[in-house]
Amino acid sequence: MRAAGAVLAAWLGPAIWLAVPTLLVAHGTGGLWPGLLIVVAPLLALTLRARPAADDTVAVPLVHVATHFLMVALLIWAGLVLVGDLASRLGVPRWHGIALAAAGGLLLTAWRGAERVVPLLLLVAGVSVLISLVALSATTGLSPLGAWRAVSERPAFVFPAASRWVTEGRDLRLAQGQQPLRFDEAHRVTAAAETTLRTRIREGRQTLDREVPLAAGQSFTLRPGDQLEPTAGARVKFEAGRRVPGAPATGLAWGDGGSQGLVATLVSVGLGVTLLGAGVALFGPPLADPAPRGEIVLVGAGLLATFGALQAWAVYAVLAAPEIFMGGITPDRLIDVPGLALGARPTGMRLQLVLVIAVGASFMASTVALRARLAAVDPAGDGEIGSDLGLWTMVFVVAALASLWHVDPWALSLTALGAGAAVFLPRALLPDAAARREAATVAGVVALAVYGVLLLFGRVAGLARPAGSLLGAFCEQPALLAVPAGLGALWLATRGGRRTR
Amino acid sequence: MRPVTRKASAVFLLVLLMLFLVLTSLPRDVAQVRVGPLSLVWWYGGVLAPALAAFAALGRGARE
Repeated sequence: MRAAGAVLAAWLGPAIWLAVPTLLVAHGTGGLWPGLLIVVAPLLALTLRARPAADDTVAVPLVHVATHFLMVALLIWAGLVLVGDLASRLGVPRWHGIALAAAGGLLLTAWRGAERVVPLLLLVAGVSVLISLVALSATTGLSPLGAWRAVSERPAFVFPAASRWVTEGRDLRLAQGQQPLRFDEAHRVTAAAETTLRTRIREGRQTLDREVPLAAGQSFTLRPGDQLEPTAGARVKFEAGRRVPGAPATGLAWGDGGSQGLVATLVSVGLGVTLLGAGVALFGPPLADPAPRGEIVLVGAGLLATFGALQAWAVYAVLAAPEIFMGGITPDRLIDVPGLALGARPTGMRLQLVLVIAVGASFMASTVALRARLAAVDPAGDGEIGSDLGLWTMVFVVAALASLWHVDPWALSLTALGAGAAVFLPRALLPDAAARREAATVAGVVALAVYGVLLLFGRVAGLARPAGSLLGAFCEQPALLAVPAGLGALWLATRGGRRTR
Repeated sequence: MRPVTRKASAVFLLVLLMLFLVLTSLPRDVAQVRVGPLSLVWWYGGVLAPALAAFAALGRGARE
C-alpha cells in the first residue's frame, strides 16, 4: 500500500495532475494524449523493472543522480508556482501561499517518518476532488457521460444568466490567462465600478490600442475582432446569452480538438518520449527490484480513477462554467469551476477551498515521495541525499523565491521530466552497455547537453510552444533528440571500450 | 519466460499508445464518430486504453 502510494504521490504532483483537466478544457480531444501517457508511463516503468544479477552491483553514475536531483527540484518549483497562482486567484498575496507550502514541505523533510503519511495525504487529495465532482454532478443533474453528451450538443458557449460575470460583475484579473479576450460577436461590457478598459479595436485595416474610461454602470460595445486586455482592477459585467470570448464555436468543435499535422504528431511523439522516459527515470530499472503485483494493481487502479475523475472535472467545467474559457485556460483557473457553476456563493467558495486542500495535500505527498525516489537512485550514498535537511532547505528556499514569478507549471514540469527521460531512457534501453560506469556517464552527459542546447535554443529563438516547424517540435520536446543522442553515445562508448580491450 | 512476458507487456502498452496516434490521424474524422455519448477517440483514449493498460500491467508484477 505504501509503495503504491509513493509511486502515485511522486508521479501525480499537483502541476501534473492539474495539467490533465487544463489541457482537456483547452484542447478537448487533444488533451487526452497527455492524460493517457500519464496513466501508461508509470505502469510501463513498473513492468520493466527486473531483479539484477547477484554480481551486478554497478553504482549509479553521478550524472544520473544529479539529473534526478534536478528533476525533483524542478518539480517542487512547479508545485510551488501552482500554489502561488492559486493564492493569487483567491485574492491572497502570492508569497503567502508559496511560503505556507514550502514550510510544509520542509517540515516533512525534517520528519523522518514522513513517508507514513503519504497515503493519508493522497486520500485527502482524492476525497477533496471527489467532493467537488459530486457537487458539480448534483448541480448539473448529470452523470459525467450525460454531461459529455450535453456539452457536445451545445450550439454555443454563452454566459449563463446566473453567472457572477453577468449579475454582479467580476475583476478582469480573474480572466487573466495566456491570451487577451477576443470577441467573436458584438458584446456590451458594463463597468460594475469606475474603471478604465484597455482595448484593441479594429478600424478598417488598422488596429488601434485604446483606453476607455467608464463610470459605474456605463457600457462600451466591443465588435467582432476587438480585444479586451484582462487588466487587474477592472470590474465589469458581461451580457447574458452572448458567446464567451475565447470559447470554441460549439460543443462539437470543443470535442473534436482540431486536426493533427506532421509537426503536431511529432510533438505528440516527443511528449510520449518525455513522459514515458520520465516514468522510467522515476520508477523504472534504476530502482531494480520488480514491483510486487499488489503495488501494480493499486497504482493502476489509482491512475485509472484519477484520470476518470479529471476527465469528469474537465467536462463539468466546460458544461457548467463556460466563462472559464475567457483569456485562455491555466491550471489555477480550474479552481474557479465550483464557484462559477454553483449558484450559492458560500458553497462555491467552500468547494474552492476543498480543491486548494487537494492541491496542498498532493504537493506535500509529492515532495516526500520524490525525495524518497532520489534516495533510492543513490544507494551508494545510503539514501542520505533524500533527507539532507540543509540541502532541501536550500532547494525549498530557492524554489520558493523563484516561484514568486509566474512560469507555466506544466512547461516547467515537462522540462524536469524531459531531462530525466534524456538521461535515464538510454540506460534502460541498453542496460548491458550502461553497466559500464564510464560509458553510462558519457551517454548521460551527451544526452543532457543535447537536451539543454535544444531547450535554450527553443526559448531564445521563440521556436517552441507552440511549435510551428520541425525544428520547433524538437525544441518543444528536446527529449526527442536527446534520447537518441544518449543511445548513440552509449553505443559508441561501448564499441570503443571493446576495441581497446 | 519472465523476461519474454515482461517485454510483451511493455510492447502491448506501447501499441496501445500508438493506436491512439493512429486513430487521431485517420482521415475523414473517423475518430470523431459518436458511439453513444462519447466520440470514438474519447472512448479509446479516455476509457478503453487506460483500462487495458492497467489490466496489461496487472499480470506482470512479481508475486509477493
